[in-house]
Amino acid sequence: MKASWTEIVAHGAFIAVCLALWEWGARTQYLPQTFFGSPIGIAAYLWEGFAVSKKLWHELGYTVAGTLISFLLGSVAAIALGLAFAMFPKLEHAMDPYLAVLNAMPRIALAPLFLLWFGLGIGSKVAVGTSLAFFIVLANTVAGIRGVSQDHIVLSRAMGATRSQIFFKVTLPSAVPVIFSGLRLALIFSMLGVIGAEIIAAEHGLGQVLSYLQSTFNMNGVMGLLLLLACLGMIVTRGMSRLERALLKWQ
Amino acid sequence: MLTPTTAIRIAGLTVRFGEVLAVDDASIDVEPGEFVSIVGPSGCGKTTILNLLTGLVPLESGEISILGKRPVAGNPDIAYMLARDSLLPWRSALGNASYGLEVRGVPREAREAKARQLLARVGLADFEHHWPKQLSHGMRQRAALARTFCLDAPVLLMDEPFGALDAQTKLQLEDLLLELWNAERRTVVFITHDLAEAVALSDRVVVMSARPGRIVEQMPIDLPRPRSVRTLQKSHEFHDIYSDLWEALEAGMKGAPAALQ
Ligand SMILES: Nc1ncnc2c1ncn2[C@@H]1O[C@H](COP(=O)(O)OP(=O)(O)OP(=O)(O)O)[C@@H](O)[C@H]1O
Ligand SMILES: [Mg+2]
Repeated sequence: MKASWTEIVAHGAFIAVCLALWEWGARTQYLPQTFFGSPIGIAAYLWEGFAVSKKLWHELGYTVAGTLISFLLGSVAAIALGLAFAMFPKLEHAMDPYLAVLNAMPRIALAPLFLLWFGLGIGSKVAVGTSLAFFIVLANTVAGIRGVSQDHIVLSRAMGATRSQIFFKVTLPSAVPVIFSGLRLALIFSMLGVIGAEIIAAEHGLGQVLSYLQSTFNMNGVMGLLLLLACLGMIVTRGMSRLERALLKWQ
Repeated sequence: MLTPTTAIRIAGLTVRFGEVLAVDDASIDVEPGEFVSIVGPSGCGKTTILNLLTGLVPLESGEISILGKRPVAGNPDIAYMLARDSLLPWRSALGNASYGLEVRGVPREAREAKARQLLARVGLADFEHHWPKQLSHGMRQRAALARTFCLDAPVLLMDEPFGALDAQTKLQLEDLLLELWNAERRTVVFITHDLAEAVALSDRVVVMSARPGRIVEQMPIDLPRPRSVRTLQKSHEFHDIYSDLWEALEAGMKGAPAALQ
């Protein structure tokens, strides 16, 4: 979906008007700065953090690293377990109730426990992020493998395909698109988990900065970081969609 | 009584799924190079018979031999084609056409050469790198025909391969099938709901009754070969055979006495 020039100009104008109204509201006290900040204040905060003291880069690095590590750990483990389930249905049957209980637990509520176990460093937030990513990818891997077309299996068997040929040439490729949509979701949830854990307690990371700014009523900072997180989330999902389109041309 | 002139022999075949009697004492002999169609009401066990021939459903009562051998899954003498094109969507036309050979361990060069040849014969020479989603229904079914004939199997089992096509495309593909078959005269068991199709293609049409499926009629089709399905549409002889077949099927539709079910 390519936006046309007129659309871009229209959106630009709309946003400019909103920001101007906001700034005007902030200066006239209709929109108290203590609760809403102001566009210029936000810009100044971000400029200071990224261009002058550059300390936000450092915090951003922690959050991004935590997110990627959680995503990779969770996804790889989940895909491996999902494939194992496909090969040994009894294993799935046996593990199902335990996984259901673990998955039902609100993971953010586990964060204090993880903090105790893994400390204030990157370990605890990775634990939260991984635990979120893992179950999403596992569910999609299992669903993808179950969704394989029975026609394809029948045809392959009739042609003499072995069990492992069917698995690698039919089951797995047919599951890839479903696994991919799980991965896209898992990346967002890894970020959510990491930031959530940082907000609760951490030495570094955007979530930690956010919670500090909030406790000191620095609304320009809070708003600036929220904006930053929204951008980060968008970049991450866009990137995944691109990758998906490139890898799954046949869809 | 296995004579060397029998390619497929089905004798006294009875199939049950739990309480349901699906096929009741069916016997069909198919000669090498013969084109036999099976018609019958939905649920009478046509697909079941093919699945038994491919060895996908175990044989419990009766006898089946294919070129003198018992049915076994992955029998290299058999190529199987389904109603839906069932192309693998993540493979190009070429990848699909060569899929059967790949599964059977034929090296890449050889299988792709063979698949290209078949794609050309079904009129898809320029589409080998297209994904299935980029092909029309008819083209997908052509690719499926290429995949089926690529196996060079002496026995072809086809389960309503053109069932999902529009009338026009169907005629084209029927002619294409006859052309491919004429060149090599494989043994074909062809299942269809379309009586015109059965008459136009076959040497013989086997008519089954409603469940439990029994064979109620085996009608030889003495139309000269090679045939053109499109020309046949205008032939009186063709329409006479067609209406005889209708009557046989209507009689079979009434099914077996309830006591046997
Ligand atoms: N795996 C199975 N388990 C239980 N019943 C089955 C199974 N396969 C087929 N049947 C039953 O056997 C009967 C014959 O089925 P089959 O699919 O062979 O019919 P068919 O003649 O191919 O029908 P159609 O023309 O609709 O494709 C049906 O009543 C069906 O319900
Ligand atoms: Mg059927």
